[in-house]
Amino acid sequence: MIRRGVQAIARLGHPGALPGASCVLPRLDLASAFASSTDNLISRFCLQKTDLKDYALPNASWCPDMLSLYQEFLEKTKSGGWIKLPSFKSNRDHIQGLKLPSGLAVTSDKGDWRIFTRCIPAEGQGYEYVIFFHPSEKKSVCLFQPGPYLEGAPGFAHGGSLAAIMDETFSKTAYLAGEGLFTLSLSIRFKNLIPLGSLAVLNVEVEKIEDQKLYMSCVTQSRDQQIVYAKSSGVFLQLQLEEESLQ
Amino acid sequence: MLRSCAARLRTLGAVPGPARRSFSSEKATQKDYSLPNPSWTKDIRLLYDQFMKKCEDGSWKRLPSYKYTKFVEEQTPKAQIFTRSLEEGLGFEYVMFHNEAEKRVVCVFQGGPHLQGNHGYVHGGAIATMIDITAGTCAVLTGGYAMTANLNINFRRPIPLCSVVVINSQIDKIEGRKYFISCDIRSVDEKTLYSEATSLFIKLDPNKA
Repeated sequence: MIRRGVQAIARLGHPGALPGASCVLPRLDLASAFASSTDNLISRFCLQKTDLKDYALPNASWCPDMLSLYQEFLEKTKSGGWIKLPSFKSNRDHIQGLKLPSGLAVTSDKGDWRIFTRCIPAEGQGYEYVIFFHPSEKKSVCLFQPGPYLEGAPGFAHGGSLAAIMDETFSKTAYLAGEGLFTLSLSIRFKNLIPLGSLAVLNVEVEKIEDQKLYMSCVTQSRDQQIVYAKSSGVFLQLQLEEESLQ
Repeated sequence: MLRSCAARLRTLGAVPGPARRSFSSEKATQKDYSLPNPSWTKDIRLLYDQFMKKCEDGSWKRLPSYKYTKFVEEQTPKAQIFTRSLEEGLGFEYVMFHNEAEKRVVCVFQGGPHLQGNHGYVHGGAIATMIDITAGTCAVLTGGYAMTANLNINFRRPIPLCSVVVINSQIDKIEGRKYFISCDIRSVDEKTLYSEATSLFIKLDPNKA
């Protein structure tokens, strides 16, 4: 991992040549943090630090479909402009050094915060997912495998768990595509149930950005696209994060 | 879609209808999670007590909440109802009250630190889950087993983690097997509106192949 990071720094001169599995880029200096370009957002989001656990990596619970599609996308990260997003235990780990604008920032001494979609850490029991992002086309693909602790109707994933993965994929896409921060609305039309332990593929696209809002659409379907599980749309509010004051 | 789901549920022995839901007395041996526990803050306890008072004349009923559905004899191994899959105080702490005459379900919800979205606020997906189960409970108690078809949520203000909110859901209209349910999420003093939602649930027809 560290060796790959060093090689990535060496290749920095090539705009399209982002490194493969780990999205490791050098931290830009603080002055550039206010720029809202996608490259800046991505570099702060995907940390160079390697001691944080990345939950978006294959493990023994991943079904064969998920593993093989993951490999396909991993190949695309080497040449096709895709990036695999790391997934840490808390959103705070993704945006170290930044905070919500004053007025919205919540101060609390509670330390054990965890992002909802990583709330069930036992492998394969809850959310298994990984998101690939395409910066220039402003679109994402999320591979999602629901575990038995996400059950709704017997044998199938709870509608709420799919809503959460949609919101999460919209959230990361909105942030990297244009500093979208809060969900304004979420509209979901459920078509078919997702069997527990199977792979659902979410394709998210940014439709437009206007009036400080990002509009996105999502289609969730089986790998072969024969079954559509749900269609949804989301609107996010653009809001710049602020630098945490150095004391 | 719903036809194939109904077929599968029939195969597994689950026939939709009020008698076989998870609120029946078969669950007497399972732990009821919709009761006060040490992680409950004073806000949620206060509301719980207020609603329990309303239950005394029979117009309101507290709904028990279990970890495992016993609709079916063969259960998916290790499956748990999603909202009861986290440890006490860390995830979803909630209790629902049902008013049959008004076709309303009120859910008092306290979102724990493992439901985080942005720093200090509850994840939009966790909010969507609570709306889904509250509105869904409303549908199921009125007409039997139903599935979510549409969910449309407008988020007005972010909900701080570990705060207590009140989710009101009611049936707006029923057209055949379609249940149109609206929902809003407010602060305990009702002064802050956090979210508004509309949803469509479809009652399963046990006779369709």
